[in-house]
Amino acid sequence: LPAGLSQWFPALEVLDVSGTGLTEMGTELLSLPCLHTLLAKNNRLGGPGSLPKGLGQAPVARSLRVLNLSGNRFSEVPPALLQLRGLRSLSLGGNRLQGIPPDIQELHSLEFLYLGGNFITAIPPELAKLPSLRYLVLCDNKIQSIPPQLAQLHSLRSLSLHNNLLTYLPQEILNLVHLDELSLRGNPLVVRFVRDLTYNPPSLQELAGRTVKTRNIPYTPSDLPESLVRYLSLASNCPNPKCGGVYFDSCVRQIKFVDFCGKYRLPLMHYLCSPECSSPFSSASQSSTSQSESDSEDEASVAAHRMQKVLLG
Amino acid sequence: MEQPVQTETWKARSLEELVRILHQIFAEDKVSVEEVQALMESYESNPDEWLQYAKFDQYRYTRNLVDNGNGKFNLMILCWGEGHGSSIHDHTDSHCFMKILQGNLKETLFEWPEKKGNGEMTKKSERVLRENQCAYINDSIGLHRVENISHTEPAVSLHLYSPPFNSCNTFDQRTGHKHKVTMTFYSQFGERTVC
Repeated sequence: LPAGLSQWFPALEVLDVSGTGLTEMGTELLSLPCLHTLLAKNNRLGGPGSLPKGLGQAPVARSLRVLNLSGNRFSEVPPALLQLRGLRSLSLGGNRLQGIPPDIQELHSLEFLYLGGNFITAIPPELAKLPSLRYLVLCDNKIQSIPPQLAQLHSLRSLSLHNNLLTYLPQEILNLVHLDELSLRGNPLVVRFVRDLTYNPPSLQELAGRTVKTRNIPYTPSDLPESLVRYLSLASNCPNPKCGGVYFDSCVRQIKFVDFCGKYRLPLMHYLCSPECSSPFSSASQSSTSQSESDSEDEASVAAHRMQKVLLG
Repeated sequence: MEQPVQTETWKARSLEELVRILHQIFAEDKVSVEEVQALMESYESNPDEWLQYAKFDQYRYTRNLVDNGNGKFNLMILCWGEGHGSSIHDHTDSHCFMKILQGNLKETLFEWPEKKGNGEMTKKSERVLRENQCAYINDSIGLHRVENISHTEPAVSLHLYSPPFNSCNTFDQRTGHKHKVTMTFYSQFGERTVC
């Protein structure tokens, strides 16, 4: 950035230095207290000094709302960037990112996050802690699975996941009630029923824990070691509505197909507490042979109705 | 459309002139696809002339009506943010011309799925259209998906559909199942339409 920038233009609000071959943004950036939009796409940023030291404490850290760093060479999200507390819109599309730092949750005002066209392999569950996130773009990456916590992004309106390595989605994705757009094309989504045959039998601790929970055996913190009290609090409910049981670590991974009213069939994954629970969903055929199968198909199809207009095939 | 007796070689020097010549061409009984495509391609994109129609939406591509061709055609501008794309769709027996005004768009052509098909749709070809290029498609050629694959640049395209239509089918690439959808305009004649 040219020296003296902040002296000549102290009230600068929008700065576009895209396509200028910039390798680092100097300290001039720190003294622009009114800057709310910074566009620096298609440059050569990405090295260690790309963002100036002291960015988090500078006035610009509070004023900046929009930051576009797409088309640069970032291989990781620079930690300094996570100190831009007022940021609403961030684009790092077309860089060389290998992952997303869990501290992304620090950007709690973030509404728009574009990370398409990188080399991201996994999504940290902390991404779900962004309460205002409305638009999340993760297309053209190498993502293999979506953490179920992503369903906590209550404000999410648009989710772009096309061209990744997803084979299924977590069932919780149906909880994103405000979702208007969801793109999934170009993923190797499984099309046939998949049953996970590697079922590890539950440990004695797990069996005891299940019994305590399902029989509602009362206990207080003074009855048990703290570690077991904590363990009991981590019980997950088996989603099989006919079961009502719980599981801790030992569960069966089940992929169920949800048919969006004949339009799309999505493989959704959930955990069941035992192979016996999984058998009602054992076939992808249309005929319901058991009550529990049709019950859970019903609840799935209600959610499916909601999502059917959302999918972009 | 069939070949007329003589084909004009048009040069549209502005968007306004393009619209004017289109009205002239479509006033005839017979219109030539080649003539329209050449005309569209001859217009050199000038953002000053179409910026008023280019309204972007954060979440998806937008359709902005420019001219309704006295009922003979619809001329519209589509705005594609980074990563925005369409589903695979048909064109309801109409002719579709697509000219790039800014950026690039990738067009992927697909075969029509089999009647009782339940498998992955067959990709025929794909290409990236550059600025000022004009592509043409109709249902007998096949189906297509259009997308802005850039993660850094938005794209703007000019579309002509004749006869006009407001519904089409979208297709699931993995199964070939189709689903009728109604299309709406994000803006008409430069004014945002709230629906």
